[in-house]
Amino acid sequence: MPMGHTTTAEAGSGGLTATEHRLANGLRVVLSEDHLTPVAAVCLWYDVGSRHEVKGRTGLAHLFEHLMFQGSGQVKGNGHFELVQGAGGSLNGTTSFERTNYFETMPAHQLELALWLEADRMGSLLAALDEESMDNQRDVVKNERRQRYDNVPYGTAFEKLTALSYPEGHPYHHTPIGSMADLDAATLEDARAFFRTYYAPNNAVLSVVGDIDPEQTLAWVEKYFGSIPSHDGKPAPRDGSLPEVVGEQKREVLVEEVPARALMAAYRLPEDGTRACDAADLALTVLGGGESSRLYNRLVRRDRTAVAAGFGLLRLAGAPSMGWLDVKTSGDVEVPVIEAAIDEELARFAEQGPTPEEMERAQAQLEREWLDRLGTVAGRADELCRFAVLFGDPQLALTAVKRVLEVTPEEVKEVAEARLRPDNRAVLVYEPKSPESVEDAQLPEDPEQEATVEAGHKNEETAK
Amino acid sequence: MTELAPMEFHPQPQPGAAKPWAFPAPERGTLDNGLTVLHCHRPGQQVVAVEVLLDAPLDTEPAGLDGVATIMARAFSEGTDQHSAEEFAAELERAGATLDAHADHPGVRISLEVPVSRLGKGLGLLADALRAPAFAESEVERLVRNRLDEIPHELASPARRAAKELSRELFPATSRMSRPRQGTEETVEKIDAAAVRAFYDRHVRPATATAVVVGDLTGVDLEALLGETLGAWTGTPGEPRPVPAVTADDTGRVVIVDRPGAVQTQLLIGRTGPDRHDRVWPAQVLGTYCLGGTLTSRLDRVLREEKGYTYGVRAFGQVLRSGPEGEGASMLAISGSVDTPNTGPALDDLWKVLRTLAAEGLTDAERDVAVQNLVGVAPLKYETAAAVASTLADQVEQHLPDDFQATLYRQLAATGTVEATAAVVNAFPVDRLVTVLVGDAAQIKAPVEALGIGEVTVVAAE
Repeated sequence: MPMGHTTTAEAGSGGLTATEHRLANGLRVVLSEDHLTPVAAVCLWYDVGSRHEVKGRTGLAHLFEHLMFQGSGQVKGNGHFELVQGAGGSLNGTTSFERTNYFETMPAHQLELALWLEADRMGSLLAALDEESMDNQRDVVKNERRQRYDNVPYGTAFEKLTALSYPEGHPYHHTPIGSMADLDAATLEDARAFFRTYYAPNNAVLSVVGDIDPEQTLAWVEKYFGSIPSHDGKPAPRDGSLPEVVGEQKREVLVEEVPARALMAAYRLPEDGTRACDAADLALTVLGGGESSRLYNRLVRRDRTAVAAGFGLLRLAGAPSMGWLDVKTSGDVEVPVIEAAIDEELARFAEQGPTPEEMERAQAQLEREWLDRLGTVAGRADELCRFAVLFGDPQLALTAVKRVLEVTPEEVKEVAEARLRPDNRAVLVYEPKSPESVEDAQLPEDPEQEATVEAGHKNEETAK
Repeated sequence: MTELAPMEFHPQPQPGAAKPWAFPAPERGTLDNGLTVLHCHRPGQQVVAVEVLLDAPLDTEPAGLDGVATIMARAFSEGTDQHSAEEFAAELERAGATLDAHADHPGVRISLEVPVSRLGKGLGLLADALRAPAFAESEVERLVRNRLDEIPHELASPARRAAKELSRELFPATSRMSRPRQGTEETVEKIDAAAVRAFYDRHVRPATATAVVVGDLTGVDLEALLGETLGAWTGTPGEPRPVPAVTADDTGRVVIVDRPGAVQTQLLIGRTGPDRHDRVWPAQVLGTYCLGGTLTSRLDRVLREEKGYTYGVRAFGQVLRSGPEGEGASMLAISGSVDTPNTGPALDDLWKVLRTLAAEGLTDAERDVAVQNLVGVAPLKYETAAAVASTLADQVEQHLPDDFQATLYRQLAATGTVEATAAVVNAFPVDRLVTVLVGDAAQIKAPVEALGIGEVTVVAAE
């Protein structure tokens, strides 16, 4: 086992370090020690996501992720959940466009169990996979789709905007949840072929972070994962590159049973991993990242035409990223009023760029988000895997904050000018089916009363 | 089997020796202005969490002004004697801080999170908000309109709509708990700056408030920082407040909130139980986990992993309000979504799970796994400063001792299968559950009636 190099902490990394290793079968391993709390996080990223799916089989990567919790060679039924939870750990898995991840956070003395479990399913899932679990999890996933998308107002907005933004046939045209018809069509043989194609040690990165002994951890990794054969034959993902700007405004108007009019838009932005993407992140933060942002001040505070207005960034490495605007109108305000104000603010920003105060605030907000992300062993393990899988270098996770702080106002202005334009977006407009009468509306409830089943990010599906 | 051939298998590993971990014990103190302060050093937690509890419970809202506590809580971050609303938001963001506030049955709670490098700045803004809120007329008016705009969105959410209906069913109309925490359109539209100011004057003062500060406090002179910030807040002394008794009608019945065309039915099945002063609490936590705490608990084992009716169903107990002598109440509930055609069969199975549990009890193996999970996850659950601060604040809010959580872990470990069974069976008796279903009445009413789990009524979604 070739030993990796040890790095010293870099500025902006909060004193964190990580070491890299590679097993003979190609499994990349990243370790990061932190003895403050007796916990250890195990995170495994497989370099496969919904972008690898083919026509007629959307949702397969996510359905497959569910099947990874249905037992493997030495683990019966729901054993993955039972053993981890019985050891005082927590676990889940999620699927996005570009990867599938599995993670366990364990009390430090139970780390070896999590490694054993992950190795067992990486090496022997097909020994346990059968029609019964396939049919059962297909039903579960269809209910996940109903609960999180189909039975919720605006629930399918993300799916629709994605389809408008990435053209037909593009690997990112569909979202990870997939369509009902494709979920129904998926066969056991599809799942088996998917495993054989993508679930190999040389298509994965394993990170272990927390109160660990690196030498012992590596020995365990070698013991449990070392004998799993590597295999090639994974098809190269379809090309996700697109022209820098869309060149026209795509638009869809939906008349649905929604409580208020809404304007949503997706802007085509630079790929993740570039300095321009960090600049775009700052631009979106200044424009719509909180209650001192330009759009919030304009639409919610001053014009009072919107209930909520904000921008989010979906970072993508294999295709242009997406800047997602979401505005819900106030009272009976019409969409063109909102849209004109947004266009005016975006044009003004592109012309002026951010003020020094706006830069400072946006950078402070993004820095704080990174502190939160790296503040838990699970968050750190996930970020190390992300940079290793998508950009080939886990160390980049530890310097991500520094890169955001290095971006200049000129770069923010430049990306806004080039990208935040009406001819570079897809727009989704919601009109309520019948004019909503709030005449006898009463008794809402607080969010903490909602179902306690874990929900993932908008672009992710989760198994739990 | 060829799939198995290449990999070398090893037996399941045994755990190493557990490392000691205990729920952190806070230090308590009082500032000169009477503000109670709990603080706790958590090495490595660079984002400090500060929670402030104000003794302004929802039942102190004036009649007809439900929601005034919520508007006040939101107005704290809309300007002070130092900054306009826009400036205040900008200053917070410049410090990389977030400030959230909400009103609930026990009182108003304000949560600040800020990197420790800017703790002084964050505490200063928090103190300004509490000490000298502007409550400007135009800002309050905007918050009221914004709140009115939110209501239809909440009513459109199946989970929230179900929670609203369950509260209305369980509690008498005279109880504040029967009505939405954040008010109705009728009450919210009556709120203005004067009402917010009056509520503030009457209920907000340092002498009846508590601040909890948690994070990596290495090199931080917390006493000095607090003295300059929250210490500058003044007010008259306060008096302890009686906690009203909570009554609820848990006669077994079913209410369908009709949403024609819904592809799923949202379930919320509940009643009330004791607060955390009750001796049954640890056993109830344990038993409830075995019933519906996770994907491998009894409910999901059948409804999800065997039948595929749902993405997940959970059972939980959540304190609504508590008094020093345990005169409070918690909501005991089962919640989840099932697809419309399987609503009847899913409820049938759910009731079968409850009946089987009552008839046969939990197994020792189930109890053991539950204890191992509930106790074992503590170090993970409390890794962040925010999680620790939130639990410490809950304890204060519920009149529990500072070592409640630490003691709870010891009690869970000492609770047996028989006690856990008795607690969960008493918590979820099959004939004393109010079932709210948000779904397509035309599709689900007949199958639900056929189950015989109580009288079925249908109400309009709104």
